[in-house]
Amino acid sequence: MRKPRLLPYLLVAPTLVFVVVFTLLPLGEALVGSLFKQRLNIPKFQDPVFYGLGNFADLFGDGDFLQVLANTGVYVLVLVPLSLLAALVLAFLVEDKLKGLGVFRLALFHPTVLPMVSAATVWMFFFTPDYGLWNQGLHLFGYAGPQNWAGNPGLALGALVVVAFWKNVGFFMLFFLAGLQGLDRSVVEAARLDGANGLRMTWSIVLPLIRRQTVFVTSIAFIGAFQTVDHVFVLTQGGPSGLSSLLLYHLWQVRFERLNVGQGDAVTVLLVAVLLAFTVTNFLWGESREK
Amino acid sequence: MRKIALLCSAFLLSLTTAFAAPVEITLAYPVAVDAPITTLLKGWSNDFMAKNPDIKVTLVFSGGYPDVKTAVQTAIQGGAKAPTLAVMLATDVYDLVNAKYVDNLDDLVAKAPGGPAFVKDFLPAYMGNSTYHGKLYSLPFQRSAVVLYYNADLLAANKIAVPKSWDELGKAAQALTVDAGKTRWGIEIPTETAYWTFQPLAIGGGKNVYTDDVTVNFNAPEVIDAVQFYNDLSKKYAATPAGVQVAWGTSTQNFAAGKTAMIVHTTGSLAGILKGAQFKVGVMAVPGKKPGTLASVTGGGNLYLTANHSPEERTAAFAFAQFLLDPSRVAAFSAATGYIPHRTAATATPEYKAWLEKVPQAADAVKALASAGPELATQNLGGVKTIFNKYLQAAFNGTQSPKDAMDAAQKEATKALADFK
Repeated sequence: MRKPRLLPYLLVAPTLVFVVVFTLLPLGEALVGSLFKQRLNIPKFQDPVFYGLGNFADLFGDGDFLQVLANTGVYVLVLVPLSLLAALVLAFLVEDKLKGLGVFRLALFHPTVLPMVSAATVWMFFFTPDYGLWNQGLHLFGYAGPQNWAGNPGLALGALVVVAFWKNVGFFMLFFLAGLQGLDRSVVEAARLDGANGLRMTWSIVLPLIRRQTVFVTSIAFIGAFQTVDHVFVLTQGGPSGLSSLLLYHLWQVRFERLNVGQGDAVTVLLVAVLLAFTVTNFLWGESREK
Repeated sequence: MRKIALLCSAFLLSLTTAFAAPVEITLAYPVAVDAPITTLLKGWSNDFMAKNPDIKVTLVFSGGYPDVKTAVQTAIQGGAKAPTLAVMLATDVYDLVNAKYVDNLDDLVAKAPGGPAFVKDFLPAYMGNSTYHGKLYSLPFQRSAVVLYYNADLLAANKIAVPKSWDELGKAAQALTVDAGKTRWGIEIPTETAYWTFQPLAIGGGKNVYTDDVTVNFNAPEVIDAVQFYNDLSKKYAATPAGVQVAWGTSTQNFAAGKTAMIVHTTGSLAGILKGAQFKVGVMAVPGKKPGTLASVTGGGNLYLTANHSPEERTAAFAFAQFLLDPSRVAAFSAATGYIPHRTAATATPEYKAWLEKVPQAADAVKALASAGPELATQNLGGVKTIFNKYLQAAFNGTQSPKDAMDAAQKEATKALADFK
């Protein structure tokens, strides 16, 4: 009889402990908490009382929360594809081993190292009506629309997308660049000899070969889009009138401003459910294509 | 033999006293203020520790008021020790007490040397947010008020009198606007956190936005009138950017650079503005609707003792609070920041007099207090503020009429306060 091997379990143990303590236990606690009504600032609701799915019903019956969901949906669906596309294009542009390209790579990557709070503060000044750099830049391209980006109902969410896009593209580009530089040159050369070039080469050869990077970058871009909240605090505070409030900002408001523990847990459960569904689907899709 | 035993016990006692661990206390402070506050506080905590070697003070500087409050909340909820003292919004008192995040100070005041007189010396305008159900929960620390800053040189050059009513304010702002704001706006009122800078308009219109911790007046005709006046400043007078102005950080710089003739801002920005402006800066309460009336609103942070500390820690924390709020330090703090001295005794100190001599506008900022109403402070404040801001901004941006927006705000806020009545 074979002796059970201990080493693999020992190697996994530290990570497992971390995942259990910092992810699974809090998640379990949030899951249980979401079924209870508990509001710390209302004496009669300070102790948790079983509420079933009441917190979820309250959330979906609240116009503000539906607005937050809509904002988050638009934010993610615009930001993620745009960032990925731009990152891929930039990776192609800076892939060549030309002299001086390092400077461009650095320029494109540098926003990544800034904390989001700093990036948002910088952009707060860029967005200043009339003389802000962003408006001045747009003016050169003939833009004559409203300039009050962070305070305008139609532009505030867009302002958040712009900041996150600027901050993240360089980071995503790095993964695509690594993928491109690790391509099997013989496959590319063979395709070239077969007459593939330009779009055909990109679509049929390069993109399938960097699929793993694409799946990974898509996952972190999607999860990151849900997780970023600092720019909301700095630039718009969810305003005007809640039109730029995102899920995580709303969670902070519910949990820490309104001290509504049960509802905060319910928002957490929904957030994790969405992220888990996406990550699993994305992974399975990537794996199925691999086979 | 007895003598030897006594001597031994005395020796042992002195040893335990000498080597007893000092009482450790922490002060969490929101550092996001445009002034050298960290240097001041570090110096004062060192002075305090030098005088009280049995107390060790640690200062924790974190972002803004919400960050400090979140730190206190998470520590207490997680069963950890929260910072002993924390500077948090004065208006948060109801939620903080209801959630048992902060501790009552009455017993400490009673037993501290000069305690009752110390508390009695604070200006009544700033003590409104310190008590709940007749008990004392916080002490005014960095208190401010919303005022109107105006470019006095520009007004004089254009032969415009200092405005004394809404109409005069609108007309003055209109006259000082150049090139539809591209060169200079007449006035800027930051409204990203709309309710606070709006309150002087409501008070100047004749009614504050709330009456007590469970009653709001969002759809009172006077408040709706004030919303209309804010909109008029852009629509009728074309003197300010239309809609919500995300300008808390930029308006002071615009003003100091001469790109805006007047701004509505906190007295806490006085030092920063005076440092940047190359012209005579005027400070006054915001003109009200009726000629000759003025309005302002209080604001700022109070010093709270958080919950769950030992008697020694509580006593040490209160001693440190008393030390920080000594009249001369209150005056020095005001001189460094522009925050209003909130103790009567502080106004008699040489530090305060020297400040007034150097910065005469400081007296005007203090004067604004006479016409100040209290900052919005209700139960469930986070929820009520979000509702009010949402509808104020909808009215400012024209997505709802002032009346519809304020009616909706009143309805939602009343619902949010129902559990507290």
